[in-house]
Amino acid sequence: MLELIFFNITNGLIVGAFYALMAIGLSLILNLSGVINFAHGGFLVIGGYLAYVLTPYIGFWGALIVSPFLTAIIGVAVEWLLIRRLYGRDPLYSLLLTFGLAFIIEDGTRQIWGANGLPVSVPPALMSALSSRFFFITGYRMFMVATVAIVVVLLFVLLRHTRVGVRIRAGTLDLETVAALGINVRALRSFNFAVGIFLAGLAGVLAGGQLGLEPTMGDGLLMPSFIAIIVGGVGSLTGTLVGGLLIGVAAGLTAVVFPSASDAVMYVIMAIVLLVRPRGLFGEEGMLT
Amino acid sequence: MSAALSAEGLHTYYGKSHILHGVSLEAGEGLVTALLGRNGAGKTTTLRSLVGLTPPRQGRVTIFGKDTTRWPAFNIAALGVGYVPEGRRIFPNLTVHENLMVPLERPGRWTPESVYRLFPRLAERKLSRGRQLSGGEQEMLSIARALLLNPKLLILDEPSQGLAPLITREVFRIVAQMRTDGISVLLVEQNVRMSLEIADQAYVLDDGHVVYSGSARELAADEARVQSLAGASAEEWTLQ
Ligand SMILES: Nc1ncnc2c1ncn2[C@@H]1O[C@H](COP(=O)(O)OP(=O)(O)O)[C@@H](O)[C@H]1O
Ligand SMILES: [Mg+2]
Repeated sequence: MLELIFFNITNGLIVGAFYALMAIGLSLILNLSGVINFAHGGFLVIGGYLAYVLTPYIGFWGALIVSPFLTAIIGVAVEWLLIRRLYGRDPLYSLLLTFGLAFIIEDGTRQIWGANGLPVSVPPALMSALSSRFFFITGYRMFMVATVAIVVVLLFVLLRHTRVGVRIRAGTLDLETVAALGINVRALRSFNFAVGIFLAGLAGVLAGGQLGLEPTMGDGLLMPSFIAIIVGGVGSLTGTLVGGLLIGVAAGLTAVVFPSASDAVMYVIMAIVLLVRPRGLFGEEGMLT
Repeated sequence: MSAALSAEGLHTYYGKSHILHGVSLEAGEGLVTALLGRNGAGKTTTLRSLVGLTPPRQGRVTIFGKDTTRWPAFNIAALGVGYVPEGRRIFPNLTVHENLMVPLERPGRWTPESVYRLFPRLAERKLSRGRQLSGGEQEMLSIARALLLNPKLLILDEPSQGLAPLITREVFRIVAQMRTDGISVLLVEQNVRMSLEIADQAYVLDDGHVVYSGSARELAADEARVQSLAGASAEEWTLQ
């Protein structure tokens, strides 16, 4: 029983780390550009399939770095060509656009690589279990959580201690004043978009190594990521991080006692949080505070 | 005398409401230009038109010899135009120190160290968040932020709004000091007498039209006009 609970907590943390990674990227884009990026799961898919293509040439480690960067570049191209034109309009426009993009990416992936699952090969060193009792804690799972943790810490350092990061946080509340202070807010938004998409691409590589690739692999992550943002409080990245981990672990634990409710529990948590703190756990305080 | 900034025939709208009806003005190089007028006259709208935040639909803005009418705000600022907006617009979620990291770094005498020397109070509150500051501290931060651009032209929108007399005087002294440092200043104020004391030129705006343009001294001498401009405002103090 103890193993079972522990297994599900571990699982929940890993799933939660993915929710958090996706949700933080979504949150960055939503906060600065006011765009609800429904194509976020699509960029995860692109990141994963790029890793599949690149691994034979540059290995898993190379792909782990290069794929998210390429995904971010593709993301910026999409932002420049399409999404940018809808800034400042009713959010419905960008929502429809990204919704359409999500379908295009999914079908495009299916066209190129087929509907069947494909593997991302992971170095054998990462695949072994750490102990026989806790067989489910493979090196790869530890590695995934550690990677997410490192990337999140780096992101927070960027936002707190670099000029561009501070400008992003300033722009979250008052982009007009940031512009009036001489900052190229178009470039700032593009950079911020790239960071968000980088995180999605990274999630795609990591997920591909664990579960393999499918054109629809991003679908299941999008709704929990939105819930993570709402639970944490729109505007707070710390909240988004906590929200992602929280619903991941809650879903994992629920799977022990009542497996069929493990998805529903996310919505229950969201409802409770919204009743008690309508702005989410870390709302009101503003981003990163 | 050349102009740091000149505007000709600005017509500016918010959606369908026509706010500015052909506003023309100049801010002379190295001078303080006051832009006065009652509440709702269009002063803020004029400034927003000049700095690119609400571009005029008609007319022309020239800054340091360049036609900036259709430029985005960040390009205009990057020319060396510092803007201290109405209501100060401090970033409430950022610390004082972080607020000072936002502006574009244009090289010049103003650095975080030198603005902290100008406003020692800000140095003391370096790690406080914008929302924790008093009105006076927020005003100083807003001015400090604009100075970090090392502006050649400083545009201020009601810097004394809501401040205690002592701090108001301090703010006016700093604006007057900018002039001696060779920065051109365009100042929007409710505080008519004090503005006219430090200004060289003055414009009065009413309902989106320029109804006075000329020397600040002449306007100051026209007691009836000053009275009507100052209106019922209790916030009337002089520098001395
Ligand atoms: N964002 C806005 N949308 C619509 N009307 C506005 C807006 N801002 C100001 N106005 C209107 O424009 C006119 C001029 O306002 P403003 O430029 O702020 O005047 P002032 O700064 O001289 O007090 C006022 O009638 C005001 O109601
Ligand atoms: Mg005003």
